[in-house]
Amino acid sequence: MSNPDLSLDQLHAASRRGRVPTLVNELPRLLGILVLLVGLVLLFIGDSFSLNVLATAFLFAGLATAWNIIGGLGGQFSLGHSVFFAIGAYMTANLILGYKLSPWLALLPSMTLGAVVAALVSWPVFRLRGPFFAIATMALTEVALALAMYFESVTGGAQGLSVPFKAGLTNMIFRDRMSYAFLMLGFLAVALLIFAAIRHSRLGYALQAVRDNEETAEAAGIDVLRTKLVGMAISAALMAAGGCLYLMYVRVVDPPSLFSLFDVGVKVALIALIGGIGTTYGPLLGALLIVPLENYLRAELGGAIPGSNLLALGFILMLTALYLRRGIVGAILKLRDRSWRILR
Amino acid sequence: MTAPLLDLRSVSRHFGGLRAVDDVSFTVSDGEIISIIGPNGAGKTTLFNLLTGQLAPTSGSILYLGKDIGSLKPHHRARLGFGRTFQISQTMMSMTVLENAMVGAFLHISAVREAAEKAESKLELVGLAEHAGRRSGELTLGGRRRLEVARALAMEPRLVLLDEVMAGLNQTEVNDVLTLVEKLNAAGTTFLVIEHNLKVVRAFSKRVLVLNRGQLLAQGSADQVLSDATVIEAYIGKQQL
Repeated sequence: MSNPDLSLDQLHAASRRGRVPTLVNELPRLLGILVLLVGLVLLFIGDSFSLNVLATAFLFAGLATAWNIIGGLGGQFSLGHSVFFAIGAYMTANLILGYKLSPWLALLPSMTLGAVVAALVSWPVFRLRGPFFAIATMALTEVALALAMYFESVTGGAQGLSVPFKAGLTNMIFRDRMSYAFLMLGFLAVALLIFAAIRHSRLGYALQAVRDNEETAEAAGIDVLRTKLVGMAISAALMAAGGCLYLMYVRVVDPPSLFSLFDVGVKVALIALIGGIGTTYGPLLGALLIVPLENYLRAELGGAIPGSNLLALGFILMLTALYLRRGIVGAILKLRDRSWRILR
Repeated sequence: MTAPLLDLRSVSRHFGGLRAVDDVSFTVSDGEIISIIGPNGAGKTTLFNLLTGQLAPTSGSILYLGKDIGSLKPHHRARLGFGRTFQISQTMMSMTVLENAMVGAFLHISAVREAAEKAESKLELVGLAEHAGRRSGELTLGGRRRLEVARALAMEPRLVLLDEVMAGLNQTEVNDVLTLVEKLNAAGTTFLVIEHNLKVVRAFSKRVLVLNRGQLLAQGSADQVLSDATVIEAYIGKQQL
């Protein structure tokens, strides 16, 4: 222990001692990022193509942040989150079409149903670990797809459900794209706030402990199953809220667009993975990169060679898996650490 | 007289045909330091896993303060006052040293700041305070073992089970842990320790249990047990005449 750097090390540690990051420390940064994003929207006033891309990017950033609660913090690599997304969309559509309810009021029941279904279906699946868990959640998606096709009275079957165009704030339907961009930004803000709050709470530490080592977590008094279920339920509730907003944006939902694996279930995991799994702003970065890129690829390549856009995205994922194990945010943090060491 | 802290009655655990723990009975009183020794594969760690609930006994009962806890899960037993370390050091590798200790502190505390304060005080006890901000994966093996002790202590346990916590520590660190255990014991914590270092065993435990092939071979003071013919035989084999 006669390391000459020790005194420096000690100083460094002493400066950090007693300082655990809390939600209050995170809020200024969160607010700053949201202000930047508002600026980004204002930059594209009148450009409805770009605003559409931004609205979609914000929606998926919010969804990937929701996924990140159980997938990133909790380490449960779900590929079946489209199920909860679809529940939100179908629940809202039914409440609007059947009961003339405002989508704003449909949010709460949609989220509740999403959370309840998530807890019920996850209960048995959480017995599985690692890749087996991921595969089981993929299977859940296929089951949900079959059910959605079958129960036409609730889902409209293969034809899907559509919400009539009646513009107005109470109907959550707008004529301009900018309002949707702000709507989705609001969703993203709520998702980020909830993620940060969980991350800096007892639940967040429990989820990370479960992710890193279930046996130790148990021995430390953490109810592993309950922790996973709570994380999954919150994550699913946010997915359902996203499904509700998605429905109001496109006004028509059908099983293929909700359940086909790449459209939602795998995409949210992919976005979080590329951005930085388990980090607060990784999913946001991932979405800001992937969604515009995907739009571009679909427009440029998809027409010429069908499916080539997916091929390109798959290639990006492989590169990330090989060279950026902890995503873009992980790479940035590593760079910062390195430069810190050099400066020191 | 009140019920002993721990009371094992004919506890067995079989894995197929293997009797890893075979009809073991003993009691632990409040405030003891008990060492468990025995050759490799004697069933020491299996016994620990039965006590903390990682495994359920095949037969027999485990009483904690007079109540049967044999069917309780590990996290329930943690809440009752069981803290433990693992033979193969188990830390949360992607979390910092402080966060690892905090996971233990959260057992009785829900506020993050308070949990961090408790965790820090335990890190100071084991001499890891200056590494609080590091990832636990960056620690040396000895450091990770001490971190496990800190995490267990942050749970404010009544009974601490240390599984070969001295392995991989240097002499100074061993002495530090010894002093710490004695200090905590004086404050009322009971210890159950799996230990290979007989010097350590002699130094701090009044009672030693010897396991061999899953069975309790002998128990008594260190001197008694170590001079017992059956114990010597279990360790180094029968003398050939």
